[in-house]
Amino acid sequence: MGDINLANSSGRDAVVATASVVSERNVRWLDKQGRQASSARVIKSTMPYEIDRLISVAGTVSKLSQLLVDGDPEIDLENTGRILRETARVYVDKDRGIVRNVQFWEIVKNADGSVRERRPRKLADTNISSDTPLRWSGIFVPKEKAIRKFVFSSKAQIQHVNGLTYDFLFGMARDLEQRNSLMLLGAGPKSNQPLILRRGAVPYRGFLEGRTDGDKYLLLLHFSNMELKTPTPSERPTSEEGASA
Amino acid sequence: MAKPLVFLLGEDEIAVTLNKIDRSRLYGFKEVEAVDEHGEICQLATLADDGRTLIPRGGTGLVWTDAEGAWCEKSELKPVNVDGNELVPVQSSFNAPIKLFDTATVDEYLNHNIRLAYSLSLEGTDDNAANSLMQLRSELQRGTIFAFAYSYRGGLEADAAFLLLSEEGEIMLAVGSPTQVAFVGIQAPTHSSEEDSPEDSEEELMDFDMI
Repeated sequence: MGDINLANSSGRDAVVATASVVSERNVRWLDKQGRQASSARVIKSTMPYEIDRLISVAGTVSKLSQLLVDGDPEIDLENTGRILRETARVYVDKDRGIVRNVQFWEIVKNADGSVRERRPRKLADTNISSDTPLRWSGIFVPKEKAIRKFVFSSKAQIQHVNGLTYDFLFGMARDLEQRNSLMLLGAGPKSNQPLILRRGAVPYRGFLEGRTDGDKYLLLLHFSNMELKTPTPSERPTSEEGASA
Repeated sequence: MAKPLVFLLGEDEIAVTLNKIDRSRLYGFKEVEAVDEHGEICQLATLADDGRTLIPRGGTGLVWTDAEGAWCEKSELKPVNVDGNELVPVQSSFNAPIKLFDTATVDEYLNHNIRLAYSLSLEGTDDNAANSLMQLRSELQRGTIFAFAYSYRGGLEADAAFLLLSEEGEIMLAVGSPTQVAFVGIQAPTHSSEEDSPEDSEEELMDFDMI
C-alpha cells in the first residue's frame, strides 16, 4: 500500500492509502508427479563469448567459421546453463569493462522520429504523496465521454486509514457518483502537472472515479498517458522517415 | 497479408484489420543514452551473482525446474489454475468469428486495465461488408460496448476485450485485464470481522506474552 495526499472540494486534505488492484496471474505449472514446478533464469552466454569478440580473436569471419566447425568456441563451458539468482545491472564500455561513472541523456523524438531535444536525464520525484496535496481540480469528464477519449492503462484504489478519512473519502466518492463523471487529478499548484507515482516513473494523467453502495464506497484513481485516437496523417511517420530516424 | 479479425453481428460477418494505437506515433518518444566520462556510449549488461561474470543483453534464458530442482521441458508440465484444475488453452481469436452478443456497462469497462488499443478498418470493399460495418457503428453509437474474450495467438488465458466507439467516431478495440476492485466500508477491507472473535480479542489483550 502507498500513500496519497488528497484534497476534497472544500479544500480539506488528508493522507490516505492507495492499494493495488492488479489481478494476480492464476496459472501454476505442475510436473509429472503433480508437484509445483518453477522457473529459473540461466546464463546462455557471457561477454567474452560475444560474436564481435570471437571475430576479433579469430582474426576474420572465415577463420571464425572454421573454428565453429572444428569446435565450440562460442560456448562458455564454465558458465553456460548456470542458474542466476541475484544479479545487478551494470553498464560496460566498448572494451567490455564496467563503467562506474555513467551519465544518462534523454533523446526526445517527435512522432516522425526526428530529434526534438537532447538533454541530461532528470528523475522526477513522486508528487502524489508530497506535503502539497493533490487539489480538487473541479474539471469533470462524464464517464461515457472519458472512456471514449482516454486509454486507462492502470488504476489504484484509494482507501481510508481511519474513521475520519472514511467520511472524507466516502463524501468524495458520493460527489463523483452523483456527477457520473471522472475528475481530472493533477499535481502542482494549478493541478495541471501529471502524476508521478514513483521517482523516475512514467508520468500519467490521473482521473478520480467514485461509486457508493450503501455505506460502502469505491474510489478509483485511473491512470492514462494516451488518448483513444489514431494519429493524424501529419503525426504518422512515413516508412522513409521512420527508417532515417 | 495479416489475417483479419472476424466479428459476427447477428447473421452478418464483419472482417476487420487491426491498427495498433501506438503512443510513440501520437506524441513522439524518448530514448535514454548511457555514456561514460569520455562521452562514449555504454551498453547495458548483467553482472552475475559471483560478482565477475558479465552477461550481455540477451545472454540469459528462462528454464523450468521440477520440485527437486532438476531441469524439465515445459511441454512436460501441466498448467493448472489456483484450484488445481487443468487449464484448457484458448484458441487465437483470428481462428474463428467472434460473436458480438455480450455487452459491458461503463463501470464494468472501467474495472479493467487496458493494455492495448486498436482502431479497426474494414477488410475488403464490397457493399455487404460496408453495410454490416454501418450496422455495427450505429449499434456502438447508441453507447453499446461489446465485450468478449480475445487472444492474439492463443494461449492459456484470454484477455478481456471491448469494442467501442472513440470520441472521434472510430471503432476501437480495447484489450485488457480485469482488476480486483471492491467496495470498502468503515472497516478496512483487509480486516475481516469474522476472523476476530471478541473472545480472541479479549484473550489477546490479556496475553502478556505479546508484550
